[in-house]
Amino acid sequence: MALLLILLAPLAAAGFALLPLDRRAAPLATLAAALIVLGLALSVAAAATGGRVEAFGGALSCDGLGALVLVLVAFVGSTAALYSWGYIGHRPESAGGTRLYYCLYNLFILSMVAVPIVSNLALVWVAVELTTLISAFLVGFDGTPEALEAAWKYVVLTTLGAVVALLGFLILYWGSQLEGAAPFTWAGLVAAAPHMPPALLWPAFLFILVGFGTKVGLVPMHTWLPDAHSQAPASICALLSGVETTTALYVILRLFPVLGAAPWLDARPWYLGLGLLSVAIAALLLVFVRDFKRLFAYSTVEHMGIILFAAGIGGADAHLGALYQIAAHSIAKSFCFFAAGLAAMAMGTQEIAAVRGLARSAPLPAAALIAGALAIAGAPPFAVFVGEFLILKGGLAAGDYVTIGLFAGFIVLGFCAILFHVNRMVFGGGSERARPAAPLSCRAGLALAAIPLFVIGIYVPPALFALLRAAAGALGS
Amino acid sequence: MRVERKGKMLARILYNLLQAAVVVGFAPLVEGVAARLKEIVQSKRGPSIFQPYRDLRKLLHKDEIVSEYSSWIFRAAPYVAFAAPIFVALLIPVLTRYPLFFAFMGDMLGGGFVLALGGFFTTLAAVDTANPYGPMGASRTRMVGFLAEPVFIVVFLTVSFVAGSTIPYIVQTRWVSPPSNFFEPSHVLLMIAFFMLILAEDGRLPVDSPAGTFELAMIDRSKSLEFSGRGAALMKWAGAMKFFVLVTIFLNVLVTPWGLAQGMGAGEVLLAIPLVLFKMLLFVLVLVVIESSLAKLRLFRITEFLGAAFVISVVAMITRLSAI
Amino acid sequence: MGGAIFALDALAGALFLLAALGVVATRQVLASLQLFIVQSLLLAASALLLGGADRSPHLLAVAAITVLTKALLIPWLLRRMVPSEVYRMREVERVLNIPSALLASAVLIVVAYAVADPLAAAAPAPFIRINLPLGIAAMFLGGLTIAVRREAVPQLLGLLGIENGVFFAAVAITPNLPLIAELAAAADVPVIALVVGMLTRAIHARLGTTAVGELSVLREE
Repeated sequence: MALLLILLAPLAAAGFALLPLDRRAAPLATLAAALIVLGLALSVAAAATGGRVEAFGGALSCDGLGALVLVLVAFVGSTAALYSWGYIGHRPESAGGTRLYYCLYNLFILSMVAVPIVSNLALVWVAVELTTLISAFLVGFDGTPEALEAAWKYVVLTTLGAVVALLGFLILYWGSQLEGAAPFTWAGLVAAAPHMPPALLWPAFLFILVGFGTKVGLVPMHTWLPDAHSQAPASICALLSGVETTTALYVILRLFPVLGAAPWLDARPWYLGLGLLSVAIAALLLVFVRDFKRLFAYSTVEHMGIILFAAGIGGADAHLGALYQIAAHSIAKSFCFFAAGLAAMAMGTQEIAAVRGLARSAPLPAAALIAGALAIAGAPPFAVFVGEFLILKGGLAAGDYVTIGLFAGFIVLGFCAILFHVNRMVFGGGSERARPAAPLSCRAGLALAAIPLFVIGIYVPPALFALLRAAAGALGS
Repeated sequence: MRVERKGKMLARILYNLLQAAVVVGFAPLVEGVAARLKEIVQSKRGPSIFQPYRDLRKLLHKDEIVSEYSSWIFRAAPYVAFAAPIFVALLIPVLTRYPLFFAFMGDMLGGGFVLALGGFFTTLAAVDTANPYGPMGASRTRMVGFLAEPVFIVVFLTVSFVAGSTIPYIVQTRWVSPPSNFFEPSHVLLMIAFFMLILAEDGRLPVDSPAGTFELAMIDRSKSLEFSGRGAALMKWAGAMKFFVLVTIFLNVLVTPWGLAQGMGAGEVLLAIPLVLFKMLLFVLVLVVIESSLAKLRLFRITEFLGAAFVISVVAMITRLSAI
Repeated sequence: MGGAIFALDALAGALFLLAALGVVATRQVLASLQLFIVQSLLLAASALLLGGADRSPHLLAVAAITVLTKALLIPWLLRRMVPSEVYRMREVERVLNIPSALLASAVLIVVAYAVADPLAAAAPAPFIRINLPLGIAAMFLGGLTIAVRREAVPQLLGLLGIENGVFFAAVAITPNLPLIAELAAAADVPVIALVVGMLTRAIHARLGTTAVGELSVLREE
């Protein structure tokens, strides 16, 4: 029942947002729906930690891994909804434009929560595809030529990847039906995998990896990501980088136990190689970046690579680290984009070179920016550091010294690059001109997002830990 | 017994020569029919279908004027160009389904070379004159020629590989062996590619306009501008025969062997003549419809046209060789 | 009877591939749209043939849906949403000239056959030998179209062409996909066309041109 309500709440809010009511009606409805979804997600997660949650005779279901993604989507959805209120309200947007924004926002949340809870894999594919289509106009919301260009590349490249992945899914279906009818769900695939001929499983895996890898932003299919994730409004960037790429990565990670059930295939080198490549290229590009929202976008590419790499290493520690990293990244990245949005609003530009001495001109965005940069780059005591530490530990235990060495090196490179750029922006001489204060709801959203950011690095609540363990179990460690 | 065998051999020689005679005799008729049909499609009356015969007779009676600066190539070219298609006509199945006396003298590759010899001499003769349009047309024809080569080679390769032989008669028996093969993807695609090749090699729209008189735009026709009298008649006839031969290869080897004589009887073979001509009429009809609906391509777009033909033939090759 | 259906399916497949090649190579935007319609109709024809052979109502439904959405609905949507002057355009500048693009297509077709061969051998089913390689080839050609064409509408048609290729392979390998999944995937296609069409209109309104391949303001340092 909770699962169904999770789907219905954003749908209702989307419809409501279109009604021509008071200016505050749409944001309030969106925020309410997001909080309802968050509450329901937490309850589902609590139930899923023990075992699977099912509804409607199996049409909707959620296990540990799915529940983790669900909670993250709900959380970032809520904080971004709060942040949107001030951010969009602050812009000279027409009433119709604002209503459209909130309607699409809710539909976007709906499509993202659908991915972990729908059982039939074909519908999962449709949900992932819908996340792209619905957010297309959110990415191009600014209407500038750059925003439209970014939206175009985003839609075309991600849909291309999704259709390639569709072929992979169809091949999986074909293979799973060879020995007799089997349900086309994740569990069904894991059961059918030992009987599937490797000649089918392997190309299907590659098609899905490359196809959805485009959506995740893995190198070399990442070219659309910096554009889309920097041209969208900051609240949408938080959703895109924080959770949308995570839902696509969730689908790829779900393939891992399917392949594991067919012991003659070894997918690990692919995960390791692609992950390491993404981390490396992203770290290198971070050195040369010129726009601070693009900076955070490249950091997303890096983190997606880190998670994939960790899944490839294998072993309990590395898998736990991967899942921990998923949670840490979602929380930290959304916070970073909130901060970046405030900084852009205060300074009127997104270029790193044009922003100097932010600490003096706009203290709140500056502090948030520094905190976010430290968090996402992987400094202790933030959560990302713990995640990376777990991964390194798992890697050393598995004995892949060379790859771990390269991995650590590139992470350090990325760390230095991020902090170098942010330091230049925040410290140093700048004008003393008073900047307009950020809207209250933006600050509230920022504060709300900051709480888990600071807490989880130091203290992991037992509920969360249990959820992580359950999720790692689903990954097949 | 010996008499029978000698009789059979005599029949084969006779039929072979009959083939050549058919090609020589009916080639202008096909040109005339094509021209008349094109005019009819455009709602005009058009010239009589026997007009090319009258043109040839007129030209043969006229004096020949040869520039004194031209060499023996110019004088020899009409004869070589006339002889080449006749030679090829001896090699290909025009009237019969079984190989005739001269059939094993050369295969498709050899036939292609012989036709190329005719074209080679014609091109050289065009350069031999002092007419500025001659070399221009010659270089353009060469360009179309070398772009068409890969198409021809791929078609030839596929067909021979499948048939296990390069002799046209044998290819013809094995290529469309169960008649349902007609709809096979490789068959259809090869037909399309070879059709485009015929359009290019023979100077039809959209590659070149056969009815045009503007020398600057001519590709194929400008090679025969300088000839007069008997030379012009032979060149015109040679052009018509080359078209006839290419279309015969297309229809009888690639498309379907329908209409060709199965047995050795004289009646059957003579019956094959109107049947083959009827097949040609259908082909000319299709050709005329296509020509009337297209505009002439700009010169450098011809590379795209022939590139498309090449890719189509490669796809046909891949589909057939993957044993579908 | 089986042989005739097999041969007709092969013919549909060959023409399907030719249509995909045409979308890569044509200059005119309107011609690309017409070739896409032809491609979709051939896909429906193949689904019809296979549905008749297996007597599977699923495939007949797929054929009907394909004709409705791809041959009728999507062209209508595109003609309505994208300003008509776009359709009169011809692309003069291309990333790769037509002969090179066609050669690249030939290479991709060979690769598609190489990819499909082990798949078809692993699980032989009647029509897979035709549909799977041609579907994968059409998929690659659609991707090539997106890479090579500069105009917005041909890029969209390339994207939809990839989907056509995937479905062409799917009618052979998964003829019994649950109808709900078929419907969902089929409903997805007009949504793609709608979104991209509206985006094209916005780009045209804002930038005055739909040559999206030439948009390169955002690039790395």
